[in-house]
Amino acid sequence: MLPDRRVEALMMEMQNPDTGIKTQTQRVLITNIPHAVAGNDIFQWILQRLQITEEEALHLGDLFVKYGYIYPLLDPKNLTLKTDGSLYRFQTPYFWPAQSWPADDTDYAIYLAKKNIKRKGILEEYEKEHYNMLNQKINYKWDFVIMQAKEQYKAGKERKKADRYALDCQERAYWLVNRTPPGMLDVLEYGLDRVTDPNEKKKKTIAVYRREIMYYQQAIMKTRVKSSVSLEGLVKYSEQFLSNDPILSGCLPSNPWITDDPDFWDLNAKLVEVPTRTRVERWAFNFNELIRDPKGRQNFQLFLRKEFSGENLSFWEACEDLKYGDQSKVKEKAEEIYKLFLAPGARRWINIDGTTMGITVKGLQHPHRYVLDAAQTHIYMLMKKDSYGRYLKSPVYKEMLAKAVVPQETVKKSSTFLFGRRQLRSSPSPIILRQQEEEAKAREAAATVDITQVMSKLDRRSQLKKEPPK
Amino acid sequence: MVKEECKALLDALNKVTACYRHMVLTIGGTSDSQNLREELKKTRQKAQELAVANRNKLTTVLKDKTVSKEDKAEFERLWVIFSTCLEILEIDMRRALELGHEFPLNVPKKHLIQTGMSGGTSGVAARAMSVQNMKYEAEHNIDVVDLKDLENEINQVGEMMYEMEMKVNVPQWTVEAKQDPGAELKSTISVGASSIGMISVEENKSFCDISKVLAGIIFAAVLIIAIVLAVCVVKLS
Repeated sequence: MLPDRRVEALMMEMQNPDTGIKTQTQRVLITNIPHAVAGNDIFQWILQRLQITEEEALHLGDLFVKYGYIYPLLDPKNLTLKTDGSLYRFQTPYFWPAQSWPADDTDYAIYLAKKNIKRKGILEEYEKEHYNMLNQKINYKWDFVIMQAKEQYKAGKERKKADRYALDCQERAYWLVNRTPPGMLDVLEYGLDRVTDPNEKKKKTIAVYRREIMYYQQAIMKTRVKSSVSLEGLVKYSEQFLSNDPILSGCLPSNPWITDDPDFWDLNAKLVEVPTRTRVERWAFNFNELIRDPKGRQNFQLFLRKEFSGENLSFWEACEDLKYGDQSKVKEKAEEIYKLFLAPGARRWINIDGTTMGITVKGLQHPHRYVLDAAQTHIYMLMKKDSYGRYLKSPVYKEMLAKAVVPQETVKKSSTFLFGRRQLRSSPSPIILRQQEEEAKAREAAATVDITQVMSKLDRRSQLKKEPPK
Repeated sequence: MVKEECKALLDALNKVTACYRHMVLTIGGTSDSQNLREELKKTRQKAQELAVANRNKLTTVLKDKTVSKEDKAEFERLWVIFSTCLEILEIDMRRALELGHEFPLNVPKKHLIQTGMSGGTSGVAARAMSVQNMKYEAEHNIDVVDLKDLENEINQVGEMMYEMEMKVNVPQWTVEAKQDPGAELKSTISVGASSIGMISVEENKSFCDISKVLAGIIFAAVLIIAIVLAVCVVKLS
């Protein structure tokens, strides 16, 4: 996070001849350069001005140095605040860090070229690397870089010797902060910039005010939940899931990260033969848990088939596949789903109400990922309110619960592996896992066809039986 | 020749931009003063004049269809240099505006940052304006008055850059630089006397190397002469 504008206000206060920090003169060979401050003086000033603890004051002062507001004179690469007599100097405002003025590659190239001229080609290793990299990256600007470097160097000669020295120190300090050498902490590495710059001084025009008014009006209209209600919900959720949380309540057989034993993952694989007891118990918490667990879905499907409403879950799964599948196959999949589940007289027709059917059919003229959302929600609520309750009392679920395994806790193996390395086998390749899933789906599809064909065969037979006796 | 004129104009703009950068660096520091603000104003106006002159010249050339291919490539290269220069100038102008707002000079409560600078920038300004000495004739509150003008000029420069992008279609990345990396070392001469206090000892080392080589050569020459003389003496005696 780049520092706040208030740091700049503090910097300006430090300059006050009466209440600010006392300055000394730095002696470099034969010249005197004014305005050096001792680290201890900075520390004491912060302590006294802000009335904070010593630790905080030291940390704050340290941050000032790290961000480049103040730079050390004798050991430029060591950006820390030392509370002894070591000297620092204030950085010129142009080089203060700000989000609206990020350090530019072109400027850095110009700086390196200038340094090259000054030191006759002697740059540090990392600077040489940067130089070569920039030469390739902004090659089209390179002529300009060299021209500008030469001119800036010559213009610099018009200034007094002491000023030239101070300028060099300033520039070096700036680039040490903005292009840190390897091994130094890069304070400015904080990830992406925020979309809005909090320190930006925006001019308040009519458009800005209009936007603000609109925003606040919409904010007032938002429905809000009382914090007591939401907190209660959170507490209930935490209490219910506490026993299932592997970190808070420990996991059986053992935490693989500690004991190096991957059994926990094997036992909790997506479509394992026999699931663990805690997993099966979790399906009873709420419907979402059941339907999000692939093994739970499998078990639920078994139950639904017995009730002859298996097409509901299949439809739901097909909709999920449409939502999260390839964009190129969206149209194709939507049409297949329609033919299989929604068309009048479809093989696995699902029962949804008239309005939803109307919306869906209309949407299918221009299919996209979420075209079946309304129908999917309807079916989801149907399963949740109707079948779920019965499922939890059914023999299918109870059997699964009884079959579920409670793994034995393994003891952490003491480190007897001084000479041998444990053979770590890699987990199965995702490609193989995907193939297995597809095969399982195909098998299931084949299985369901049997039932409906059987049903239709029974129907036909009964119809035929009716006819001949005529 | 059109090429030489363009180059000369571009060099002038480059020089003024470099000087402007030096001056903007000093805003808010102890070298800041009303004079600096006036220098900034004059330099910036000169830069704008040069920029307009450059643009006019280069656009007429680039629109000219009768130019040969090598010439066109050369002008495109100059165009890229010009647009980069203008970008840097615009950024510096914006920063000058922001810093000018933050550091008004006549307010007793706002203190300038003690950056270690004590000298003025009149030399730099004189270099930019190509005059011997700078004359200061502005009022004492130029730091506040000038900011409005600065804003307008920033808008002007912004518009000029936009127009340039729209009118002339030169893809920047197709231009190849003429200078190799390290070209800046070849043309500039001695540096030694101007830098004080040896920011690092490395500078000394390179110096010593050259003197060492020279010493070696002289020694070898003396040795050869001594041997020749000794042989002569032996032969004659």
